[in-house]
Amino acid sequence: MLVQRLCMRAVHTTRQLCAGASAGTGLEKSALAALRKKTGYTFANCKKALEMHNNDVSLAEKWLNDQAQSMGWTKATKVADRATAQGLVGVLIRGNRGAMVELNCETDFVARNDTFKRFVDHVARICLHYTDMTDFDGDLWKLGFDGDALKNLRTDEGRTLGDHLALLIGAMGENASIRRALCFKVNNDLRLAGYAHPAPTNVGSTEGITQVGKYGAVVAYRSTHKLLDFEFHKSICQQIVGMKPKKVGEYDKDQPNENKDEETCLIHQEYLLDADKTVGEALQEHNCEIVDFHRFECGQQLSGGLNLEEYIRSQSSN
Amino acid sequence: MSHAFAAAVCRSAAPLALRCSRRTMSSSTARMLRLATVTTASSAAHKNWHRQGLLAANTGNLQQYLRQYANEKKVFERTKPHCNVGTIGHVDHGKTTLTAAITKVLADKQLAESKKYNEIDNAPEEKARGITINVAHVEYQTETRHYGHTDCPGHADYIKNMITGTAQMDGAILVVAATDGAMPQTREHMLLAKQIGIDHIVVFINKVDAADQEMVDLVEMEIRELLTEMGYDGDKIPVVKGSALCALEDKSPEIGKEAILKLLQEVDSFIPTPVRELDKPFLLPVENVYSIPGRGTVVTGRLERGVVKKGMECEFVGYNKVLKSTVTGVEMFHQILEEAQAGDQLGALVRGVKRDDIKRGMVMCKPGSVKALDQLEAQVYILSKDEGGRTKPFMSFIQLQMFSRTWDCAVQVQIPDKDMVMPGEDTKLILRLIRPMVLEQGQRFTLRDGNLTLGTGVVTKIMPGLTETQRSELTEGKKAREKKVAAKK
Repeated sequence: MLVQRLCMRAVHTTRQLCAGASAGTGLEKSALAALRKKTGYTFANCKKALEMHNNDVSLAEKWLNDQAQSMGWTKATKVADRATAQGLVGVLIRGNRGAMVELNCETDFVARNDTFKRFVDHVARICLHYTDMTDFDGDLWKLGFDGDALKNLRTDEGRTLGDHLALLIGAMGENASIRRALCFKVNNDLRLAGYAHPAPTNVGSTEGITQVGKYGAVVAYRSTHKLLDFEFHKSICQQIVGMKPKKVGEYDKDQPNENKDEETCLIHQEYLLDADKTVGEALQEHNCEIVDFHRFECGQQLSGGLNLEEYIRSQSSN
Repeated sequence: MSHAFAAAVCRSAAPLALRCSRRTMSSSTARMLRLATVTTASSAAHKNWHRQGLLAANTGNLQQYLRQYANEKKVFERTKPHCNVGTIGHVDHGKTTLTAAITKVLADKQLAESKKYNEIDNAPEEKARGITINVAHVEYQTETRHYGHTDCPGHADYIKNMITGTAQMDGAILVVAATDGAMPQTREHMLLAKQIGIDHIVVFINKVDAADQEMVDLVEMEIRELLTEMGYDGDKIPVVKGSALCALEDKSPEIGKEAILKLLQEVDSFIPTPVRELDKPFLLPVENVYSIPGRGTVVTGRLERGVVKKGMECEFVGYNKVLKSTVTGVEMFHQILEEAQAGDQLGALVRGVKRDDIKRGMVMCKPGSVKALDQLEAQVYILSKDEGGRTKPFMSFIQLQMFSRTWDCAVQVQIPDKDMVMPGEDTKLILRLIRPMVLEQGQRFTLRDGNLTLGTGVVTKIMPGLTETQRSELTEGKKAREKKVAAKK
């Protein structure tokens, strides 16, 4: 009874409010509403734009778009010291090229937002594009970027990724950063496979699509199988994401660890999909050889003061 | 016992600590020591504990300190119904300022303890059921209700909070700044509210001191639109406009203090009071069964909810059985009890059932009030290695042991929306029980693998029972599954 009455009261006040709002609707209000709806910039900024341009929506919109970059930078500097511990890893494989990037933000709400995911995709594509510009005909080429190098990468429109990041920060109102990236290019009989976790199930090929998740892995392999065994390569990437191997390992050099849960050689690890086999056995079954791999974990601590390129070198020299 | 009682009747962490202390005031020091160590719940009292902890270390007399601690604590008075709310919103929109303002405004009326911004801001790491959560709990009351107020920094923290159940939220306050309007991630905030089962949202439009009326109205329209789009009744949701900062700094009362009071009034009226455990149909998970010569069968356990009296009809459910009976006597501490209430550890004499018919793990309940299930959907948090979980991820079809109430049962796990689950992740799982057990929506459970706790979860959806073929599939091995898949191809 009481609840009912309260609900009624709520309806009542709402109606009054709506009536009040519609009665007071002038030209200005619809201009502000339209501008906000169209551009998505904050109310405060839309208001300012309209005031500066005598309520001319198109001029105000133009001004906002022009200002967005500098406003983004202002916001970015304001929030620059706030920690970014959440984020996403993006993995993009296209033909013989691949890119894996990590972007950070403050809260995982933002990491789940489509705008942020699109930006991860954008960064991955820029990095991939960068590999196109490099001539290389060896077997495996890779290049790591740290955050600063990435910010200076040029995009098609001539702006830097840093500019784009500032725009994102302006829109999200939260600090964000591009942490690191890794580009791959393989030739001859080598191929690439990538996976980001968590990934939706029952997705066909991920060729040319940026996968996003909290973890990512890229594998360079050599396979004599004629057909591409997509599921198997995905499972190897999952193995790397899940079991954190430190190196591929060699059959004649590396001995299996006594405690199989602490095994750090990929080939000696228990195969996740079939605990009766080791990864090495599964690879032999599929006539596949892993040449190299990399694993990104979002928010992962990089060892010491090592910069990324050194970090990569140390991994691949193993 | 007293601890158990407190745990059952109160649904929030903060009053738990307080109530424990009331119970212990009259007890022996030894008991205090035990209880004080179990009281891990956070609250102002918890902070006190730390501060005082240092003092105690100085004097070096822990027992004396504990006695002092128990005496110093405020006695929780149960005069108003309890309700759990939380704040959600963008990091810069003033969630914490609002929380601080609420406590300040209520402190002026002697209804809360005023908390400063920085006391709430850095949500302390809390260990609930061995899981680390960043969460700030604040306690206050209005004229009509008592509140536990939760604030977490991230989506994952709210999910963990829901799963461990230190404070299931009955409603939420969505904070939006009038200067910014809805942010792109406001959509994600509302999705979260949906996911953790919040049906009632009250909106607070903050920072109206920095915006004009027109902007505020537009923000309101925008939020209502977005709420409707996300499946809430956007037109009916109360929207309060004000400035938490003004309330905190005692400026312009019409958008400061009065707005906060208006908000609390809306929260009071819009978010319904949860049903008390005491008012629900009774349920007693059976712990032990005894046969007493000359009297009959006695079942013991802690009454989880409701009230049991002599002469009530009851039903035993579990292990594929449903047995009807009547309670012919209720005892506690070898004394006859007129009426047992939720939280009581009791023995119930039941008519016409043999000891061997009833097993630990069954529940005694009001006839027809619960059902045994063998398939359900749950939200589960998988413990990370640091929290004592396993190091390896797992895939679908893993066999685990599920523990809930007094029973445990083998389950097969299906992961509906990803390929594998990593330690430290929260996920949706479909669990198939090897035999039907009493389960309800909102019930909490633990999953174990051998001697390792793998994760804890909460039942989010009840699914139709397994068919015969599905049940036979539960026991078949990997090889058989692979064969089937191959045959299909």
